[in-house]
Amino acid sequence: MGFIELKNVCKKYDKTDKNAVTDFNLSIKEKEFIAFVGPSGCGKSTTLRMIAGFEEISSGELYIDGKKMNETAPMDRGISMVFQNYALYPHMTVEKNISYGLKNMKVPADEIKRKTDWAVKILGLEEYRYRKPKNLSGGQRQRVALGRAIVKNQKVFLMDEPLSNLDAKLRVSMRNEISKLHRELGSTTIYVTHDQVEAMTMADRIVIMKDGVIQQTGAPMELYEHPANKFVAGFIGSPQMNFYNVRLDGRTIIFKDNNKAELPETIAGKLSKYKNGLIMGIRGEDIKLDAQNLDLNTGSRQKAIIDNTEIMGNENNLYFEFGGVTSVARVSKYEVSHIGDTVEFVMMPHRMHFFDPETEKAVVL
Amino acid sequence: MLTRKQKRNNWILTAVLIIASLFFLFPVIWMLANSFKPDVAITNDMNSISAFVPPALNGSFFDNYITILTNTSFVRYMLNTLFYAAVLIILGIIVNGLAGYALAKINFPFRERWLMIIMLLMIVPMETIITIHFLFIAKLGLLNTVIGYILPMIVNPFNIFLFRQVFTSLPDDIYEAAQLDHCSPVKYFFTMVLPMSKSVVATVSVFTFLNVWNDYLWPSLVFTSGDLLTAQIGLNAITSNENTTMGQTLAVITMVTIPVIIIYSLFSKQIVEGVVSTGSKEG
Repeated sequence: MGFIELKNVCKKYDKTDKNAVTDFNLSIKEKEFIAFVGPSGCGKSTTLRMIAGFEEISSGELYIDGKKMNETAPMDRGISMVFQNYALYPHMTVEKNISYGLKNMKVPADEIKRKTDWAVKILGLEEYRYRKPKNLSGGQRQRVALGRAIVKNQKVFLMDEPLSNLDAKLRVSMRNEISKLHRELGSTTIYVTHDQVEAMTMADRIVIMKDGVIQQTGAPMELYEHPANKFVAGFIGSPQMNFYNVRLDGRTIIFKDNNKAELPETIAGKLSKYKNGLIMGIRGEDIKLDAQNLDLNTGSRQKAIIDNTEIMGNENNLYFEFGGVTSVARVSKYEVSHIGDTVEFVMMPHRMHFFDPETEKAVVL
Repeated sequence: MLTRKQKRNNWILTAVLIIASLFFLFPVIWMLANSFKPDVAITNDMNSISAFVPPALNGSFFDNYITILTNTSFVRYMLNTLFYAAVLIILGIIVNGLAGYALAKINFPFRERWLMIIMLLMIVPMETIITIHFLFIAKLGLLNTVIGYILPMIVNPFNIFLFRQVFTSLPDDIYEAAQLDHCSPVKYFFTMVLPMSKSVVATVSVFTFLNVWNDYLWPSLVFTSGDLLTAQIGLNAITSNENTTMGQTLAVITMVTIPVIIIYSLFSKQIVEGVVSTGSKEG
């Protein structure tokens, strides 16, 4: 049994027909960093709140450290939580916000002081110690929220989109700080986010959800390289994977606009049963424009006119119409193309993903 | 940048407002000025501008006030009223605050209907139910007691509604964070909800004080003993006494009025907030 175990957990709100969360099964190891990720309304926060005890579990079982927790009050579950809007006590100073829980837990005063000093120091809040939350910036508030969570020395940290209110730059630095804290404290962390970059960069394992159902659970690269279905393939990775409805004729893929590409025999053989077509997906970085790859795949060379570019600094995203859809190629910063340029490219056959057109599940190659 | 026309309009408006406020202030100024005069001077000055001018500061300047404060129990009545107001402010905040919190944050059957009933009670004038209060307190044998006076005054639908309106906007995640910080619901109410809602607490305190200070009908029914009387009843008792001079009467009225003026000027923001957030006025 894992440190946190969710067995067939469902959530159904009164007066609704559909479950908010359906049959959620997950085993989380001690000290693991798990990210729940998915679009708004996918049930990730609801699941987190069921673990915290703020939402009743409609059916199924929740175990933390071997004990069934379905009916246990939030304060007795051994958890700390960081909230999306920080949920700081506005009338208390930073120090009081951090130490409030310890006081309620009847921790001796010297211990409270020691722990508060430690949290204030580790989070770089020394000079803000006696300020109230309204006099702090977003990043400082988030640090106070983290401080409040870490001083209680709980075994489980729950974080509900803790960085969503911060600007992009601060988000990156806080991401780093949270990862560092997790490593230092060694607590089990469940992190909810709708930002796949946060999930990819921080988590040991990611749980991708859609409409209250787990789509796939796995290590970040596992999800990136081997998405279980079209939703996961599209959700993980930026820019999003390109999807094409294609037909197969022997080893040849025929796109909607009648462009063709050759597949190796090993791949084509495994796709032969999809007589009526299937969905092909390819990531932007697997569309190559460089001479070496063009020479190696002469039979699959394609042409397109660039209709938009995104200069990212370290790389460029090139947008063009191909296969009946707007496609994007992610190329190095040295491969400069301009709007209106005609480019030649190849789609790397071994990097293609194929999905069943009806179930949208990945075809195992 | 204001145009010339706007500037001129502002001047006209200011002048009109000054004249209007003087119109309302005249009785107060007259009362204040004459409260320092002996009756002869009041009568002599009656038809002249001197009626609005206090006498010269001399040895007998405060005579009316000294007579009232030394020869009557008015100080006691004032202290009684302050005590009742303090008790009612504390109890009112606890009882009405808890009710407001329940209506704002706790899900229970028919919550919206309860709120509707409380809102309906806001439009029932106190005078229409005062007989019921009186009979109830009499049945309990609490007439002429502090408890008998205070008990029916604690619950106030207006204050419940005021608290409810403010508590509704408190974020739920603070309660959740407090729960994880091992804070009990009662402790949460006193250490989080009330300090986070200082403004409504101040508003309710001001309204309660003004209510108690200005109330005449209920204390006149409950109290028969002189020791427990409130300032308003005391005022009536003193001014209706044949031996009380006009100057002394005005001094008593001034003393009763001053706390109200101070409270209004110090807490006008809270009073306005109360009116704005509920759309009605109490006190």
